[in-house]
Amino acid sequence: MFSKARLKSTLKAYLFLAPFLVVFIGLIVYPIGLGVKLSLYGQRGARMWYVGLENYQRVFQDSMFWSSFKIPLFLLLVQVPVMLFLATLIALGYETRKNGGPIYRFLYYLPYTIPGIVSGIVWSYIFSDSMSPLSPILGWFGAENVKFLTRGNVPAILLVIILWQFTGYTAFLVYSSLIAIPKEYSEAAQLDGAGFWQVAFRIKLPLLVGPLITLFIFNAIGAMQVFNEPWMLGNLVVLPLNYTPAMYIYNSAFSQGRFTYASAMGIILAVITCGISWYILRSAGRQILGRRH
Amino acid sequence: MRRKPSYIIVTVILVLLAVFFIFPFYWLTIGTTKNVSQLFQKSLLPGDPSYLTDNVSKVFAYQGGVFYNWMANSFLYATVGAFTGVFIASLAGYAFRRYDFIGKKILFMFIIAFAMVPGFATTLPLFMMFRDINLLDTRFAVLLPSFVNIFACYMMVSYWNQVEDEVFEAATIDGANDFITFWKIGLPNIIPGFITLFLLAFVSGWNNFFLPLVVLNSRARMPLILGITTITDPQGFPVYNLTLTASFFTILPLLIMFISLQRYFKPQMYMR
Repeated sequence: MFSKARLKSTLKAYLFLAPFLVVFIGLIVYPIGLGVKLSLYGQRGARMWYVGLENYQRVFQDSMFWSSFKIPLFLLLVQVPVMLFLATLIALGYETRKNGGPIYRFLYYLPYTIPGIVSGIVWSYIFSDSMSPLSPILGWFGAENVKFLTRGNVPAILLVIILWQFTGYTAFLVYSSLIAIPKEYSEAAQLDGAGFWQVAFRIKLPLLVGPLITLFIFNAIGAMQVFNEPWMLGNLVVLPLNYTPAMYIYNSAFSQGRFTYASAMGIILAVITCGISWYILRSAGRQILGRRH
Repeated sequence: MRRKPSYIIVTVILVLLAVFFIFPFYWLTIGTTKNVSQLFQKSLLPGDPSYLTDNVSKVFAYQGGVFYNWMANSFLYATVGAFTGVFIASLAGYAFRRYDFIGKKILFMFIIAFAMVPGFATTLPLFMMFRDINLLDTRFAVLLPSFVNIFACYMMVSYWNQVEDEVFEAATIDGANDFITFWKIGLPNIIPGFITLFLLAFVSGWNNFFLPLVVLNSRARMPLILGITTITDPQGFPVYNLTLTASFFTILPLLIMFISLQRYFKPQMYMR
C-alpha cells in the first residue's frame, strides 16, 4: 500500500499539475482522440457515419497524398544536409574569429527571428518577375529577362528561403556544441603539430556527430510539415493543392470540405513525424528525470 | 598585424554570407519607401521618403483602420498566450521537481510523447471542437491552444532541477506552505528561465499563422501575421507596397525585442 506521506505528496503534486493537465488533456489529448475518431467516419456535407478503416485504405491508395511528399523528401535529402554542412563550416568559421565573431553570429541569426510568412512574402517578391532586384544584377552579366518564379523553380526557391531562415540558427547551435568541447583535446592535437582545420576535421567533427543527428531529426520533422513558405509562394505561382502534405490536408479539409478524410491524413502525418522523433524523445525523457531523485 | 591568407579567405566568405543574410531585410526596408511603379523599377536604392509616409498612412487607414486591430490582436495573442502557457508549465515543472508522487514517471513520459505531435494533427480536430461549442471566429479559439506549452513544461522541469534542495527545505522549516514556497521562494530562482521561455513563446505566438488561418474569419480578430496576407485593393489584386510596409511593421517588434533582450534568447536544441 502507499504510505500516508506519499498520498499527501501525490495530492499536492496533482494540485500543482492541475492547470497544465486540464489544458493539456482538453486541447491536445482530447483533440487527437477526436481526430482519430473522425478519421473512422465517412462524411457527406454535415452527415457522418462510421466506416472503420476505409479512409485509411483510401489514403494509402491516394497518389495525390503520397506525391505530396516530394517536397519534404527533397528538403530532407538536399536542404537539411546542405544546411548542416554549411552550418558546421560557419560554426568553425566563428571559432577562427575573436570571441567567436559575435557580429556574424548575430547577423546570421536574424532571419530566424522573423516569421516564415514574412520571409515567404519578401523572398517571393525578390524572385518575382515584376519586382526582382536580382534581374538588373544579372543584366550586368548579359542575362536579362531571366524568369525565376516558375513552378519548376519553386523547390529551388524554397531551398533558398529555408536555408536563409535556418542556417544561422543552426550554426549557432553547432557553435554552442563546439565550444562545449574541452580545450585539452585540441591543445593536445596542436602540440602534435596539427593545424586549425586538421584539428577541426579530425578532433572536433567526430564529437559533433551527436548534436548533428539531433539537428537532422528536428529538421526532418520540420520538412515533413512545411506549409507557410509554399503557401505564400502560391500567391505568385499556381501550385497544386497537394504541393506538400500539410497543404493537401488543409485544402482537403477547407477547400473541399472532406474533414474526415483530412483527419485520416493528419493522423498518418502525425505518426510519421512521431516515428522520426521517437529516438530523441526517449533520450530526452530519460535524461531529465534521471538528473535528480 | 599581419594575417595569414586563410584568415582573409574566411573573412571574405563570412562577409559574403552576411550580405546574403541581411539582403532581404535591406530590400524590405527600402521597399517601404517605394510605390508600386518604383518597385517595378527593380532598383537597389531607397525610393522617396514621401512614399514611406504615404505607405504608412495607407496601411493604417486600410479598411477603416483594421491594421490597429491586427496589432492589438497580435499583442494580445502573443502576450497572454505566452504568459499563461509558461506560468502553467512552471507550476507543472514544480510538481515534478518537488514531489515524489504516484504515476510520476508515466505521466512525464506521456506528456513528452505529445511534444512532437505536429500542429496539423490537432488543429483540424480543434476546428471541429470549437465549431461544436461555438468558439469559431472568437479570440478564444486562438488563445486557448497557446495555453498548452509542452516544451516549456519540459524546460521548466530542468530549470527547477537546478534549484537546490536547501532552498526549499529552509522555506519549509520557516513554516511556509507549499504554494508560498513556490511563489515567494521558488519562482524568483527560475525567473531568467521564465523570461527565456516567455520570449520564445511570445515569438512563436506572434508568428503562429496556421491556427488563426483555420479558426478565424473576421478580419477584425486576425493577428498581424494573418492580416497582412489579406491586403488587397478593392478589386482583389495584391498591393505590393502596402504588403511590404505591413510586413515591415509585423517584424519590427520581433527585431526590437530580439536586439534589446538578446541575452535571454538562448537557442535550444529542443524546439522548432
